[in-house]
Amino acid sequence: MLLRPKTPVASVQQDTGAAVVMVIPAFLGLLAFVAVPFLLAIFLSTQNLHFGSGLGPTWMGLEQYRRLLLDPLFSADFYRALINNATFAVVVVPAQTGLALAIALLLNRSLRGMPIFRTFFFMPVVFPMALVSVIWKLIYAPDDVGMLNTVLKVVSFGHIQPHDFLGDPKTAMAAIIVTSIWSGVGFQMVILLAGLQSISGSLYEAAAIDKAGKWQQFWNITMPGLRNTLVFVVMVTTILSLRLFDQVYIMTRGGPLNATTTVMYQAVTAAFDRGNIGNAAAITVVFFVLVLAIALIQRWFLREEREIA
Amino acid sequence: MGQFGPNGPGCFGQAQIGGTTTEVDNVKPGSRLASTTAAFALLLAVGCGGGTTNATVNGGSGKGTIVVWADQSQSGQDKATQAEVAAFNASQTDVKAVLKFIPDADLDKTNQATSPKELGDVVQVDGPYMQAWIREGKLGPINGLVSAQTIQNQIPSVIAQDTVNGKLYMVAQIDSGLGIYGNKALLGAAGITYPTGLDNVWTADQFTADLAKLAAKNPSGKALDLKLNYQGEWPTYGFLPIVYSAGSTVMTGGKAAGHLDSTQVVAAAKTFASWKPYVDANTDDSAFVKGRVAMSWVGHWVYPAYSKALGSNLVVMPLPDFGNGTKTGQGSIAWGINTSRGNGKAAAKLLDFFANDANVTDYTSGAVDGDGAVPATKTALAESTLYAPSGPLYLFAQQLNKTCGSGPATKDCVAVPRPQTPGYPVISSDFSAAWFNIFNGADPQAELTKAAQLIDTDFQDNGGYQLSG
Repeated sequence: MLLRPKTPVASVQQDTGAAVVMVIPAFLGLLAFVAVPFLLAIFLSTQNLHFGSGLGPTWMGLEQYRRLLLDPLFSADFYRALINNATFAVVVVPAQTGLALAIALLLNRSLRGMPIFRTFFFMPVVFPMALVSVIWKLIYAPDDVGMLNTVLKVVSFGHIQPHDFLGDPKTAMAAIIVTSIWSGVGFQMVILLAGLQSISGSLYEAAAIDKAGKWQQFWNITMPGLRNTLVFVVMVTTILSLRLFDQVYIMTRGGPLNATTTVMYQAVTAAFDRGNIGNAAAITVVFFVLVLAIALIQRWFLREEREIA
Repeated sequence: MGQFGPNGPGCFGQAQIGGTTTEVDNVKPGSRLASTTAAFALLLAVGCGGGTTNATVNGGSGKGTIVVWADQSQSGQDKATQAEVAAFNASQTDVKAVLKFIPDADLDKTNQATSPKELGDVVQVDGPYMQAWIREGKLGPINGLVSAQTIQNQIPSVIAQDTVNGKLYMVAQIDSGLGIYGNKALLGAAGITYPTGLDNVWTADQFTADLAKLAAKNPSGKALDLKLNYQGEWPTYGFLPIVYSAGSTVMTGGKAAGHLDSTQVVAAAKTFASWKPYVDANTDDSAFVKGRVAMSWVGHWVYPAYSKALGSNLVVMPLPDFGNGTKTGQGSIAWGINTSRGNGKAAAKLLDFFANDANVTDYTSGAVDGDGAVPATKTALAESTLYAPSGPLYLFAQQLNKTCGSGPATKDCVAVPRPQTPGYPVISSDFSAAWFNIFNGADPQAELTKAAQLIDTDFQDNGGYQLSG
């Protein structure tokens, strides 16, 4: 239907005016909660300030950054945190997405009771991460007190000895990864499920008529059809995985021996355990730059593929 | 995302804006944007208005409502605090006290992150952190506010803890005791001769050997509980005495390098780390009570629960001697006044009430279960059954009696206060991180040297944390 505009110029002005007014609340929110704190963080990273202190800040220039990036006393922990974050992202993004895809494929049938299954797979997402961490900390508890140790012992008829999963530098990160995947897979699953259901069923029928096998159908129909959804899921999961904090704070406190420390954990403990706001602000600014770079790189790569599809 | 403390960062918490309503069409968007931004900037300026000075502000009229921030710890202690505040409110009408609890594990962090204006009028503060809060303007001197009788009745160790530059800043209901609780039955079964007082303490090597013996006899393979599940200040309180017992100090002459990482401390740390196979992770906080371990290295606050579980089987022993005599911790939470809020006189009335004998006795061992702490008043201590020479916790009173005070830790003195400096939060944080890394297998020398350097750098940044006046 075509509505004839009064005059093109006047209507554009009216539209722009209305649009700006509608955008203002969100814009102010962004300003107040993102832009202002970010600018303040940049300012604070040049100061020496104790949290909640009645004393004012004192100028420190770029000293915080020099320490964080160059001084081995401070930078060793920071670089270890970056490595841990990278390890976590590199493992979790493919594993969690792959698992979510597998589950979504399984759940994409019209069997009776399917909504119940979908609910159960989604439920872990509903629990707050702090709660999940507390429960899994008990599951991973060392000695015979821990659930996982007891289960392994029973299943292996006593051959597998109790292991301190969270206290062993070699297994601590893996333990946190498992917890995170368990908690987050439902979220991707639901999104991928929606993507799967948007693929037209007639494509599968046509393929079946042409005697295409299940595997061929998967690669040639499902995957291309899911491409946009997958791109979204991968990007979101990557950004969210860089945020790793709750599990570390509750389950391992960055240990053992820095095996699970992350950048967010370092920023928070610098601010609240040591009261060193300048240091914490510097960490967050550096991290922001890194995350922005990753997001931009990802967007550039994945965008290309989208245009081809 | 996680919450950051009960009040959020000071002024930002006040500058939040809810959704703004928009009226369509009539108002030019540009001017609306300008005016709202201006309003926001104004809010920010007002909300962040001014730091506070450390100077004693007018004590107020001695009447009105005061806010009390208390430590929430063992249930006995909490019930006692609630009962005392209620009794205070019932006993007079001039001052009304409103009680607010802060969880123990977050007490120091919360006090740190809250600005003086938002902190309560009366604050329960962890002793060694007192100087840091004074420096930040959160505590003021109470000499003229609290009655002289209250001050005279306080025991010497808490007066030493609560005094800086000749001025008193806090009064206490308790001082702390730290030792090793033992299960007599399990100790006897393994044939361990254990110390019966301060005269026949373990040496570190004997203690290690005994741990092995106990673990061998125990189906769980564990012998010791170090309260690894405790957070917050515990690692420093519980294990810093080892530094002094090893014959070193944490900082001397304003420097930690060469002291915290000296050879004696490194050797002691290695010994401590060698205990790891015998230590229960205590995830359910009941390793000792359930008999999984024979010994528990912890402070006075577990006494009610332990004595209930073990009865006459419970024995309290001093910490092992790492070369310079047995050393133990002292210092605990005490009540201070946030004079910057201008309610000093009213707050002091509550402090006088807290520190009277009835309440001190009640808090430590009275009808509401108490918490086993050492009473901080001379009269209450003298009358206490727990701390009498024939009482079960006499060891703690003895240890405090032999405090090293602010002097060097000699072989004979026992209780050592934690470093008294405004930079204490950093010392505590870096020490406990290093100590647990060592416990989990890191190189002791590297970790302690790093902790010392971090502490020194922070002290340098803050001009040595001088406390003016």
